Amino acid sequence: MANTAIETSQSTNPRNHPVIQVENVSKLFRTPSEGTISALQSISLNVPHGEFITVVGPSGCGKSTLLKLIAGFSPPSSGRILCQNEEVRGLNTKVGYVPQESKLFPWLTVEQNVGFGLDSRRYPREKREHQVQQFIKLAGLAGFEKYYPAQLSGGMSKRASIIRALAYEPAVILMDEPFGPLDAQTRMVLQDELLKIWEQKRQTIVFVTHDLVEAVALADRVVVITHRPGKIKDIINVPMERPRNIFEIHRQEGFDEAYGRLWNIFRHELNIGTH
Amino acid sequence: MSKDMSEETSRAGTASDARVVQSGGGLSIRGFGVTIIRVVIIGGFLLLWEIASGRWIEPFLISSPSRILSSLFTGFTSGDLIQHTWVTFQEIAIGFPAGAISGIALGYWFGRSRLLAEIFEPIIIALNGIPRTAVAPLFIVWLGIGLWSKVGVVFLLTFFLNFFNTYTGMRQMDREYIDLARLMGVKGWKLTFKVIFPAISPYVFTGIRTSIPFAVIGAIVGEFVAATEGVGFFIRMSAGIFKTADVFVGIIILMIMVIVMDRIAEMIEKRALRWQTQTEHIQIQA
Repeated sequence: MANTAIETSQSTNPRNHPVIQVENVSKLFRTPSEGTISALQSISLNVPHGEFITVVGPSGCGKSTLLKLIAGFSPPSSGRILCQNEEVRGLNTKVGYVPQESKLFPWLTVEQNVGFGLDSRRYPREKREHQVQQFIKLAGLAGFEKYYPAQLSGGMSKRASIIRALAYEPAVILMDEPFGPLDAQTRMVLQDELLKIWEQKRQTIVFVTHDLVEAVALADRVVVITHRPGKIKDIINVPMERPRNIFEIHRQEGFDEAYGRLWNIFRHELNIGTH
Repeated sequence: MSKDMSEETSRAGTASDARVVQSGGGLSIRGFGVTIIRVVIIGGFLLLWEIASGRWIEPFLISSPSRILSSLFTGFTSGDLIQHTWVTFQEIAIGFPAGAISGIALGYWFGRSRLLAEIFEPIIIALNGIPRTAVAPLFIVWLGIGLWSKVGVVFLLTFFLNFFNTYTGMRQMDREYIDLARLMGVKGWKLTFKVIFPAISPYVFTGIRTSIPFAVIGAIVGEFVAATEGVGFFIRMSAGIFKTADVFVGIIILMIMVIVMDRIAEMIEKRALRWQTQTEHIQIQA
Protein backbone atom coordinates (compact mmCIF):
# COMPACT_ATOMS: atom_id res chain seq x y z
CA MET A 1 0.00 0.00 0.00
CA ALA A 2 0.94 3.62 -0.31
CA ASN A 3 2.66 4.32 2.94
CA THR A 4 5.38 6.36 1.31
CA ALA A 5 6.00 10.06 1.18
CA ILE A 6 4.23 10.89 4.38
CA GLU A 7 6.43 13.80 5.18
CA THR A 8 6.22 15.36 1.76
CA SER A 9 2.46 15.10 1.63
CA GLN A 10 2.29 16.66 5.06
CA SER A 11 4.39 19.62 4.10
CA THR A 12 2.65 20.24 0.79
CA ASN A 13 -0.82 20.05 2.33
CA PRO A 14 -2.23 23.41 3.20
CA ARG A 15 -2.67 23.70 6.95
CA ASN A 16 -6.39 23.52 6.99
CA HIS A 17 -6.91 20.77 4.54
CA PRO A 18 -8.54 17.80 6.26
CA VAL A 19 -6.28 14.84 6.86
CA ILE A 20 -9.21 12.68 7.78
CA GLN A 21 -12.56 12.91 6.10
CA VAL A 22 -15.32 10.77 7.49
CA GLU A 23 -18.19 10.82 5.04
CA ASN A 24 -21.59 9.66 6.14
CA VAL A 25 -20.25 6.55 7.81
CA SER A 26 -22.41 3.96 9.53
CA LYS A 27 -21.40 0.75 11.19
CA LEU A 28 -23.66 -2.16 11.99
CA PHE A 29 -22.68 -5.11 14.13
CA ARG A 30 -24.32 -8.47 14.04
CA THR A 31 -25.39 -9.74 17.43
CA PRO A 32 -25.16 -13.42 18.37
CA SER A 33 -28.95 -13.60 18.17
CA GLU A 34 -28.87 -12.68 14.48
CA GLY A 35 -30.03 -9.13 15.06
CA THR A 36 -28.01 -6.05 14.22
CA ILE A 37 -26.79 -3.23 16.39
CA SER A 38 -26.16 0.12 14.88
CA ALA A 39 -22.95 1.29 16.48
CA LEU A 40 -22.50 4.40 14.39
CA GLN A 41 -24.99 6.22 12.23
CA SER A 42 -24.29 8.78 9.53
CA ILE A 43 -21.10 10.14 10.98
CA SER A 44 -19.48 12.94 9.03
CA LEU A 45 -16.37 14.63 10.31
CA ASN A 46 -13.37 16.44 8.93
CA VAL A 47 -10.13 16.56 10.86
CA PRO A 48 -7.79 19.27 9.61
CA HIS A 49 -4.07 18.87 9.73
CA GLY A 50 -2.50 19.54 13.12
CA GLU A 51 -5.73 19.53 15.06
CA PHE A 52 -6.19 17.94 18.45
CA ILE A 53 -9.70 16.62 18.38
CA THR A 54 -11.37 14.69 21.17
CA VAL A 55 -14.34 12.41 20.80
CA VAL A 56 -16.52 11.97 23.86
CA GLY A 57 -19.58 9.96 24.57
CA PRO A 58 -21.01 7.50 27.06
CA SER A 59 -19.42 4.08 27.13
CA GLY A 60 -20.63 1.83 24.39
CA CYS A 61 -21.58 4.72 22.12
CA GLY A 62 -19.28 3.60 19.35
CA LYS A 63 -16.50 6.13 19.78
CA SER A 64 -13.85 3.41 19.82
CA THR A 65 -15.53 1.89 16.79
CA LEU A 66 -14.99 5.16 14.96
CA LEU A 67 -11.26 4.97 15.66
CA LYS A 68 -11.13 1.36 14.53
CA LEU A 69 -12.80 2.33 11.27
CA ILE A 70 -10.33 5.14 10.68
CA ALA A 71 -7.48 2.73 11.40
CA GLY A 72 -9.02 0.31 8.93
CA PHE A 73 -9.31 -2.58 11.38
CA SER A 74 -12.76 -3.16 9.93
CA PRO A 75 -14.65 -1.53 7.06
CA PRO A 76 -17.64 0.79 7.56
CA SER A 77 -21.04 -0.67 6.70
CA SER A 78 -21.77 2.37 4.58
CA GLY A 79 -20.14 5.66 3.75
CA ARG A 80 -16.42 6.10 3.36
CA ILE A 81 -13.38 7.39 5.14
CA LEU A 82 -10.61 9.29 3.44
CA CYS A 83 -7.16 9.67 4.86
CA GLN A 84 -5.02 12.20 3.01
CA ASN A 85 -7.51 12.08 0.15
CA GLU A 86 -7.25 8.35 -0.21
CA GLU A 87 -10.06 6.04 0.75
CA VAL A 88 -9.22 3.76 3.63
CA ARG A 89 -9.35 0.16 2.44
CA GLY A 90 -7.76 -2.39 4.68
CA LEU A 91 -5.30 -1.35 7.36
CA ASN A 92 -4.52 2.33 7.26
CA THR A 93 -0.77 2.56 7.67
CA LYS A 94 -0.91 6.35 7.69
CA VAL A 95 -2.22 6.41 11.23
CA GLY A 96 -0.64 5.61 14.54
CA TYR A 97 -2.73 3.89 17.16
CA VAL A 98 -2.56 4.10 20.93
CA PRO A 99 -4.75 1.37 22.38
CA GLN A 100 -6.56 1.44 25.72
CA GLU A 101 -4.00 -0.77 27.34
CA SER A 102 -0.43 0.10 26.51
CA LYS A 103 0.19 -3.02 24.42
CA LEU A 104 3.91 -2.42 24.19
CA PHE A 105 5.61 -5.38 22.60
CA PRO A 106 6.74 -7.17 25.76
CA TRP A 107 9.75 -8.79 24.08
CA LEU A 108 11.25 -5.44 23.09
CA THR A 109 12.90 -2.85 25.28
CA VAL A 110 11.47 0.64 25.60
CA GLU A 111 13.95 1.86 23.01
CA GLN A 112 13.10 -0.90 20.56
CA ASN A 113 9.40 -0.37 21.08
CA VAL A 114 9.65 3.33 20.36
CA GLY A 115 11.81 2.67 17.31
CA PHE A 116 9.58 -0.11 16.02
CA GLY A 117 7.49 2.01 13.68
CA LEU A 118 10.57 3.77 12.34
CA ASP A 119 12.21 0.58 11.13
CA SER A 120 9.63 -0.22 8.50
CA ARG A 121 9.66 3.37 7.28
CA ARG A 122 13.28 3.39 6.23
CA TYR A 123 14.47 6.15 8.46
CA PRO A 124 18.20 6.57 8.04
CA ARG A 125 20.04 5.11 11.02
CA GLU A 126 21.11 8.42 12.55
CA LYS A 127 17.74 10.02 12.15
CA ARG A 128 16.18 6.95 13.71
CA GLU A 129 18.44 7.08 16.76
CA HIS A 130 17.91 10.78 17.13
CA GLN A 131 14.16 10.51 16.81
CA VAL A 132 13.89 7.69 19.34
CA GLN A 133 16.10 9.48 21.84
CA GLN A 134 14.22 12.70 21.41
CA PHE A 135 10.85 11.14 22.12
CA ILE A 136 12.15 9.09 25.02
CA LYS A 137 13.45 12.28 26.54
CA LEU A 138 10.22 14.15 25.86
CA ALA A 139 8.27 11.44 27.64
CA GLY A 140 10.60 11.46 30.63
CA LEU A 141 11.77 7.93 29.99
CA ALA A 142 15.47 8.73 29.73
CA GLY A 143 17.39 6.13 31.69
CA PHE A 144 14.80 3.45 30.95
CA GLU A 145 15.76 2.76 27.33
CA LYS A 146 16.88 -0.78 28.05
CA TYR A 147 13.96 -1.73 30.27
CA TYR A 148 11.38 -4.25 29.22
CA PRO A 149 7.70 -3.28 29.42
CA ALA A 150 7.06 -5.70 32.27
CA GLN A 151 9.53 -3.71 34.35
CA LEU A 152 7.70 -0.42 33.90
CA SER A 153 4.96 1.12 35.98
CA GLY A 154 1.55 1.72 34.45
CA GLY A 155 2.24 5.39 33.79
CA MET A 156 5.61 4.70 32.25
CA SER A 157 4.35 2.05 29.86
CA LYS A 158 1.54 4.39 28.88
CA ARG A 159 4.06 7.08 28.00
CA ALA A 160 6.11 4.60 26.01
CA SER A 161 2.98 3.42 24.22
CA ILE A 162 2.11 6.97 23.22
CA ILE A 163 5.54 7.90 21.94
CA ARG A 164 5.74 4.61 20.07
CA ALA A 165 2.84 5.92 17.99
CA LEU A 166 4.18 9.47 17.75
CA ALA A 167 7.79 8.65 16.96
CA TYR A 168 7.37 7.46 13.38
CA GLU A 169 5.35 10.55 12.56
CA PRO A 170 2.18 9.10 11.08
CA ALA A 171 -0.21 11.59 9.53
CA VAL A 172 -2.75 11.07 12.31
CA ILE A 173 -2.54 9.54 15.76
CA LEU A 174 -5.60 7.79 17.09
CA MET A 175 -5.84 7.40 20.85
CA ASP A 176 -8.43 5.14 22.36
CA GLU A 177 -8.98 6.23 25.98
CA PRO A 178 -5.28 5.90 26.66
CA PHE A 179 -5.50 7.33 30.17
CA GLY A 180 -8.61 5.42 31.17
CA PRO A 181 -7.15 2.91 33.61
CA LEU A 182 -4.76 5.31 35.36
CA ASP A 183 -5.15 7.01 38.70
CA ALA A 184 -6.13 10.68 38.74
CA GLN A 185 -2.67 12.09 39.48
CA THR A 186 -0.79 10.04 36.90
CA ARG A 187 -3.49 10.90 34.46
CA MET A 188 -3.01 14.62 34.88
CA VAL A 189 0.74 14.35 34.60
CA LEU A 190 0.37 12.39 31.41
CA GLN A 191 -2.20 14.76 29.94
CA ASP A 192 0.22 17.56 30.64
CA GLU A 193 3.06 15.69 28.98
CA LEU A 194 0.96 14.77 25.99
CA LEU A 195 0.06 18.41 25.46
CA LYS A 196 3.68 19.47 25.77
CA ILE A 197 4.80 16.93 23.21
CA TRP A 198 1.93 17.83 20.95
CA GLU A 199 2.71 21.53 21.19
CA GLN A 200 6.20 20.80 19.94
CA LYS A 201 5.22 18.40 17.19
CA ARG A 202 1.71 19.49 16.24
CA GLN A 203 0.71 16.11 14.97
CA THR A 204 -2.93 15.50 14.21
CA ILE A 205 -4.57 13.64 17.08
CA VAL A 206 -7.97 12.03 17.41
CA PHE A 207 -8.42 11.26 21.08
CA VAL A 208 -11.33 9.22 22.38
CA THR A 209 -12.38 9.60 26.00
CA HIS A 210 -15.40 9.39 28.25
CA ASP A 211 -14.02 12.04 30.59
CA LEU A 212 -15.55 15.45 29.87
CA VAL A 213 -12.83 17.42 31.65
CA GLU A 214 -10.15 15.58 29.74
CA ALA A 215 -12.04 16.12 26.48
CA VAL A 216 -12.18 19.89 26.98
CA ALA A 217 -8.74 20.28 28.49
CA LEU A 218 -6.91 18.68 25.59
CA ALA A 219 -8.94 19.57 22.55
CA ASP A 220 -9.25 22.18 19.88
CA ARG A 221 -12.62 20.67 19.13
CA VAL A 222 -14.77 18.21 21.02
CA VAL A 223 -16.98 15.83 19.10
CA VAL A 224 -19.95 14.61 21.13
CA ILE A 225 -21.37 11.24 20.20
CA THR A 226 -24.70 10.05 21.55
CA HIS A 227 -25.57 6.66 22.85
CA ARG A 228 -26.75 3.97 20.45
CA PRO A 229 -27.08 4.53 17.64
CA GLY A 230 -23.92 6.63 17.80
CA LYS A 231 -24.53 9.91 16.07
CA ILE A 232 -22.66 13.17 16.25
CA LYS A 233 -24.75 15.34 18.51
CA ASP A 234 -22.57 18.40 18.41
CA ILE A 235 -19.06 19.64 17.83
CA ILE A 236 -17.80 22.19 20.32
CA ASN A 237 -14.95 24.56 19.69
CA VAL A 238 -12.58 25.03 22.58
CA PRO A 239 -10.93 28.38 21.97
CA MET A 240 -8.73 28.13 25.07
CA GLU A 241 -5.24 29.51 24.85
CA ARG A 242 -2.23 27.28 24.47
CA PRO A 243 -0.03 26.23 26.13
CA ARG A 244 -2.59 25.14 28.68
CA ASN A 245 -2.05 24.38 32.31
CA ILE A 246 -3.70 21.04 32.86
CA PHE A 247 -3.28 21.27 36.62
CA GLU A 248 -5.32 24.44 36.82
CA ILE A 249 -7.42 23.97 33.75
CA HIS A 250 -10.56 25.04 35.62
CA ARG A 251 -9.18 28.52 36.11
CA GLN A 252 -8.26 28.97 32.49
CA GLU A 253 -10.38 31.30 30.45
CA GLY A 254 -12.81 29.54 28.17
CA PHE A 255 -12.83 26.27 30.07
CA ASP A 256 -16.04 26.90 31.99
CA GLU A 257 -17.92 27.91 28.92
CA ALA A 258 -16.84 24.92 26.83
CA TYR A 259 -17.36 22.53 29.70
CA GLY A 260 -20.76 24.02 30.43
CA ARG A 261 -21.90 23.53 26.87
CA LEU A 262 -20.64 19.98 26.88
CA TRP A 263 -22.31 19.19 30.16
CA ASN A 264 -25.57 20.61 28.91
CA ILE A 265 -25.57 18.18 26.03
CA PHE A 266 -24.77 15.30 28.32
CA ARG A 267 -27.38 16.27 30.84
CA HIS A 268 -30.07 15.89 28.23
CA GLU A 269 -28.44 12.74 27.04
CA LEU A 270 -28.47 11.22 30.51
CA ASN A 271 -31.95 12.54 31.30
CA ILE A 272 -31.10 13.63 34.80
CA GLY A 273 -32.59 17.13 34.67
CA THR A 274 -31.08 20.10 36.41
CA HIS A 275 -30.62 19.04 40.01
CA MET B 1 0.77 31.15 35.23
CA SER B 2 2.32 28.47 33.14
CA LYS B 3 5.81 29.23 34.39
CA ASP B 4 5.49 27.34 37.65
CA MET B 5 4.42 24.24 35.81
CA SER B 6 7.75 22.55 36.03
CA GLU B 7 7.36 22.26 39.78
CA GLU B 8 3.96 20.74 39.54
CA THR B 9 4.97 18.35 36.84
CA SER B 10 6.12 15.70 39.21
CA ARG B 11 7.30 13.07 36.84
CA ALA B 12 6.22 9.77 38.20
CA GLY B 13 9.09 7.92 36.70
CA THR B 14 12.52 9.41 36.45
CA ALA B 15 15.53 7.24 37.04
CA SER B 16 15.97 8.41 40.61
CA ASP B 17 12.67 7.29 42.07
CA ALA B 18 12.53 3.86 40.51
CA ARG B 19 13.73 1.31 42.96
CA VAL B 20 15.07 -1.95 41.71
CA VAL B 21 14.09 -4.67 44.10
CA GLN B 22 16.05 -7.80 43.59
CA SER B 23 15.23 -11.08 45.23
CA GLY B 24 17.96 -13.21 46.74
CA GLY B 25 20.09 -12.43 49.75
CA GLY B 26 18.54 -14.20 52.74
CA LEU B 27 17.90 -17.29 50.67
CA SER B 28 21.48 -18.58 50.67
CA ILE B 29 21.47 -20.20 54.12
CA ARG B 30 18.19 -21.90 53.42
CA GLY B 31 19.46 -22.96 49.99
CA PHE B 32 22.51 -24.51 51.59
CA GLY B 33 20.35 -26.49 54.01
CA VAL B 34 18.19 -27.75 51.17
CA THR B 35 21.29 -28.97 49.32
CA ILE B 36 22.59 -30.81 52.40
CA ILE B 37 19.29 -32.59 52.98
CA ARG B 38 19.08 -33.53 49.32
CA VAL B 39 22.59 -35.02 49.36
CA VAL B 40 21.82 -36.94 52.55
CA ILE B 41 18.66 -38.43 51.06
CA ILE B 42 20.34 -39.49 47.82
CA GLY B 43 23.43 -40.78 49.63
CA GLY B 44 21.29 -42.71 52.12
CA PHE B 45 19.31 -44.27 49.32
CA LEU B 46 22.43 -45.39 47.45
CA LEU B 47 23.92 -46.75 50.66
CA LEU B 48 20.77 -48.71 51.47
CA TRP B 49 20.73 -50.05 47.91
CA GLU B 50 24.35 -51.16 48.23
CA ILE B 51 23.69 -52.89 51.56
CA ALA B 52 20.45 -54.53 50.47
CA SER B 53 21.97 -55.96 47.33
CA GLY B 54 23.21 -59.50 48.00
CA ARG B 55 21.99 -59.47 51.60
CA TRP B 56 18.24 -59.12 51.32
CA ILE B 57 17.61 -59.04 47.57
CA GLU B 58 19.27 -60.99 44.78
CA PRO B 59 21.85 -58.82 42.94
CA PHE B 60 20.56 -59.91 39.53
CA LEU B 61 17.27 -58.22 40.36
CA ILE B 62 18.48 -54.87 41.56
CA SER B 63 22.25 -54.91 40.97
CA SER B 64 24.06 -52.37 43.19
CA PRO B 65 25.59 -48.91 42.86
CA SER B 66 29.14 -50.29 42.93
CA ARG B 67 28.40 -52.88 40.26
CA ILE B 68 26.70 -50.27 38.09
CA LEU B 69 29.67 -47.97 38.45
CA SER B 70 32.13 -50.66 37.41
CA SER B 71 29.92 -51.71 34.48
CA LEU B 72 29.75 -48.11 33.39
CA PHE B 73 33.53 -47.93 33.53
CA THR B 74 34.20 -51.14 31.60
CA GLY B 75 31.47 -50.29 29.12
CA PHE B 76 33.07 -47.01 28.26
CA THR B 77 36.65 -48.24 28.25
CA SER B 78 35.78 -51.06 25.86
CA GLY B 79 34.16 -48.48 23.54
CA ASP B 80 30.94 -50.52 23.31
CA LEU B 81 28.90 -48.07 25.26
CA ILE B 82 30.27 -45.11 23.38
CA GLN B 83 29.11 -46.69 20.12
CA HIS B 84 25.61 -47.38 21.51
CA THR B 85 25.33 -43.88 22.91
CA TRP B 86 26.52 -42.39 19.63
CA VAL B 87 23.90 -44.29 17.65
CA THR B 88 21.05 -43.19 19.93
CA PHE B 89 22.40 -39.66 19.91
CA GLN B 90 22.34 -39.59 16.12
CA GLU B 91 18.74 -40.77 16.00
CA ILE B 92 17.72 -37.98 18.36
CA ALA B 93 19.97 -35.38 16.77
CA ILE B 94 18.22 -35.87 13.43
CA GLY B 95 14.69 -36.72 14.51
CA PHE B 96 14.25 -34.16 17.25
CA PRO B 97 15.12 -30.94 15.41
CA ALA B 98 13.28 -32.13 12.32
CA GLY B 99 10.18 -32.96 14.36
CA ALA B 100 10.34 -29.77 16.38
CA ILE B 101 10.82 -27.51 13.36
CA SER B 102 8.05 -29.14 11.34
CA GLY B 103 5.73 -29.10 14.34
CA ILE B 104 6.38 -25.43 14.98
CA ALA B 105 6.05 -24.55 11.30
CA LEU B 106 2.75 -26.38 10.93
CA GLY B 107 1.42 -24.92 14.18
CA TYR B 108 2.29 -21.51 12.82
CA TRP B 109 0.55 -22.12 9.49
CA PHE B 110 -2.54 -23.43 11.18
CA GLY B 111 -2.60 -20.29 13.27
CA ARG B 112 -2.25 -18.05 10.22
CA SER B 113 -4.68 -19.76 7.91
CA ARG B 114 -8.15 -20.39 9.18
CA LEU B 115 -8.95 -22.48 6.11
CA LEU B 116 -5.98 -24.76 6.64
CA ALA B 117 -6.91 -25.18 10.28
CA GLU B 118 -10.53 -25.90 9.46
CA ILE B 119 -9.62 -28.60 6.97
CA PHE B 120 -6.86 -30.34 8.87
CA GLU B 121 -7.62 -29.82 12.54
CA PRO B 122 -9.90 -32.86 12.95
CA ILE B 123 -7.45 -34.99 11.03
CA ILE B 124 -4.55 -33.96 13.20
CA ILE B 125 -6.55 -34.53 16.36
CA ALA B 126 -7.53 -37.99 15.15
CA LEU B 127 -3.92 -38.81 14.33
CA ASN B 128 -2.90 -37.54 17.73
CA GLY B 129 -5.31 -40.04 19.26
CA ILE B 130 -3.13 -42.89 18.04
CA PRO B 131 -0.72 -44.07 20.74
CA ARG B 132 2.36 -43.13 18.80
CA THR B 133 4.68 -45.79 20.14
CA ALA B 134 2.30 -48.32 18.64
CA VAL B 135 3.33 -47.04 15.23
CA ALA B 136 7.00 -47.87 15.86
CA PRO B 137 6.84 -51.38 14.30
CA LEU B 138 5.36 -49.82 11.17
CA PHE B 139 8.36 -47.54 10.89
CA ILE B 140 10.63 -50.57 11.09
CA VAL B 141 8.70 -52.09 8.19
CA TRP B 142 8.91 -48.90 6.18
CA LEU B 143 12.39 -47.72 6.98
CA GLY B 144 14.31 -50.82 7.99
CA ILE B 145 15.99 -51.66 11.26
CA GLY B 146 18.71 -49.04 10.89
CA LEU B 147 18.94 -45.40 11.85
CA TRP B 148 16.00 -44.03 9.88
CA SER B 149 13.21 -46.00 11.48
CA LYS B 150 14.23 -44.61 14.89
CA VAL B 151 14.56 -41.12 13.46
CA GLY B 152 11.00 -41.59 12.26
CA VAL B 153 9.68 -42.49 15.69
CA VAL B 154 11.58 -39.62 17.33
CA PHE B 155 10.20 -37.28 14.69
CA LEU B 156 6.66 -38.42 15.27
CA LEU B 157 6.78 -38.02 19.02
CA THR B 158 8.45 -34.63 18.83
CA PHE B 159 6.28 -33.32 16.05
CA PHE B 160 2.90 -33.49 17.74
CA LEU B 161 3.98 -31.90 21.00
CA ASN B 162 5.58 -29.00 19.18
CA PHE B 163 2.69 -28.67 16.82
CA PHE B 164 0.06 -28.50 19.55
CA ASN B 165 1.99 -26.08 21.72
CA THR B 166 2.74 -23.72 18.84
CA TYR B 167 -0.81 -23.88 17.56
CA THR B 168 -2.13 -23.13 21.04
CA GLY B 169 0.25 -20.18 21.17
CA MET B 170 -1.07 -18.92 17.85
CA ARG B 171 -4.63 -19.08 19.12
CA GLN B 172 -3.92 -17.54 22.51
CA MET B 173 -1.77 -14.78 21.12
CA ASP B 174 -3.01 -11.25 21.51
CA ARG B 175 -4.13 -10.27 17.99
CA GLU B 176 -3.74 -6.62 18.85
CA TYR B 177 0.03 -6.97 18.63
CA ILE B 178 -0.28 -8.05 15.03
CA ASP B 179 -2.73 -5.29 14.21
CA LEU B 180 -0.49 -2.69 15.80
CA ALA B 181 2.59 -3.96 14.03
CA ARG B 182 0.80 -4.01 10.69
CA LEU B 183 -0.46 -0.52 11.30
CA MET B 184 3.14 0.48 11.81
CA GLY B 185 3.90 -0.89 8.37
CA VAL B 186 5.35 -4.30 9.27
CA LYS B 187 4.38 -7.16 6.99
CA GLY B 188 5.54 -10.40 5.44
CA TRP B 189 8.40 -12.32 7.00
CA LYS B 190 9.20 -9.41 9.28
CA LEU B 191 5.77 -9.71 10.82
CA THR B 192 6.35 -13.43 11.28
CA PHE B 193 9.77 -13.27 12.85
CA LYS B 194 9.69 -9.91 14.62
CA VAL B 195 6.18 -10.04 16.02
CA ILE B 196 4.43 -13.38 15.80
CA PHE B 197 7.25 -15.66 16.86
CA PRO B 198 8.33 -13.48 19.77
CA ALA B 199 4.70 -13.29 20.86
CA ILE B 200 4.24 -17.07 20.84
CA SER B 201 7.78 -17.94 21.93
CA PRO B 202 6.80 -18.97 25.49
CA TYR B 203 4.50 -21.60 23.96
CA VAL B 204 7.10 -22.70 21.44
CA PHE B 205 9.67 -23.23 24.16
CA THR B 206 7.20 -25.17 26.28
CA GLY B 207 6.69 -27.44 23.29
CA ILE B 208 10.40 -27.92 22.74
CA ARG B 209 11.13 -28.62 26.37
CA THR B 210 8.28 -31.02 26.97
CA SER B 211 9.17 -32.92 23.82
CA ILE B 212 12.78 -33.58 24.84
CA PRO B 213 12.08 -36.64 27.05
CA PHE B 214 9.67 -37.89 24.41
CA ALA B 215 12.33 -37.68 21.73
CA VAL B 216 14.49 -39.98 23.85
CA ILE B 217 11.54 -42.29 24.48
CA GLY B 218 10.98 -42.44 20.72
CA ALA B 219 14.56 -43.51 20.05
CA ILE B 220 14.47 -46.17 22.77
CA VAL B 221 11.10 -47.58 21.72
CA GLY B 222 12.37 -47.82 18.16
CA GLU B 223 15.44 -49.67 19.33
CA PHE B 224 13.38 -51.97 21.52
CA VAL B 225 11.32 -53.05 18.55
CA ALA B 226 14.20 -53.90 16.26
CA ALA B 227 17.77 -52.76 16.24
CA THR B 228 21.35 -53.94 16.23
CA GLU B 229 22.80 -51.11 18.23
CA GLY B 230 21.84 -48.12 20.38
CA VAL B 231 21.22 -47.62 24.09
CA GLY B 232 17.72 -49.11 23.84
CA PHE B 233 19.15 -52.19 22.16
CA PHE B 234 21.85 -52.36 24.86
CA ILE B 235 19.26 -52.22 27.66
CA ARG B 236 17.07 -54.89 26.11
CA MET B 237 19.99 -57.17 25.39
CA SER B 238 21.45 -56.73 28.89
CA ALA B 239 18.11 -57.46 30.52
CA GLY B 240 17.77 -60.56 28.37
CA ILE B 241 20.94 -62.03 29.84
CA PHE B 242 20.27 -60.71 33.34
CA LYS B 243 23.12 -58.22 33.29
CA THR B 244 21.08 -55.93 35.49
CA ALA B 245 23.95 -53.57 36.17
CA ASP B 246 24.17 -52.87 32.43
CA VAL B 247 20.44 -52.15 32.29
CA PHE B 248 20.96 -49.50 34.92
CA VAL B 249 23.96 -48.18 33.02
CA GLY B 250 21.73 -47.71 29.95
CA ILE B 251 19.09 -45.98 32.02
CA ILE B 252 21.66 -43.63 33.51
CA ILE B 253 22.93 -42.72 30.05
CA LEU B 254 19.41 -41.90 28.92
CA MET B 255 18.82 -39.86 32.02
CA ILE B 256 21.96 -37.86 31.39
CA MET B 257 20.95 -37.33 27.77
CA VAL B 258 17.60 -35.90 28.78
CA ILE B 259 19.13 -33.69 31.47
CA VAL B 260 21.81 -32.32 29.15
CA MET B 261 19.32 -31.59 26.37
CA ASP B 262 16.93 -29.97 28.79
CA ARG B 263 19.66 -27.81 30.25
CA ILE B 264 20.72 -26.62 26.81
CA ALA B 265 17.11 -25.86 25.92
CA GLU B 266 16.65 -24.07 29.21
CA MET B 267 19.70 -21.92 28.57
CA ILE B 268 18.44 -20.92 25.14
CA GLU B 269 14.98 -20.31 26.53
CA LYS B 270 16.28 -18.08 29.29
CA ARG B 271 18.17 -15.99 26.79
CA ALA B 272 15.32 -15.78 24.34
CA LEU B 273 12.70 -15.04 26.97
CA ARG B 274 14.82 -12.62 28.95
CA TRP B 275 12.04 -10.08 28.71
CA GLN B 276 9.79 -12.46 30.56
CA THR B 277 12.01 -14.04 33.20
CA GLN B 278 13.41 -10.73 34.31
CA THR B 279 10.05 -9.66 35.53
CA GLU B 280 10.09 -12.38 38.13
CA HIS B 281 13.17 -11.03 39.81
CA ILE B 282 13.13 -7.33 39.26
CA GLN B 283 10.28 -5.07 40.05
CA ILE B 284 10.28 -1.37 39.50
CA GLN B 285 8.43 0.82 41.86
CA ALA B 286 7.80 4.23 40.43
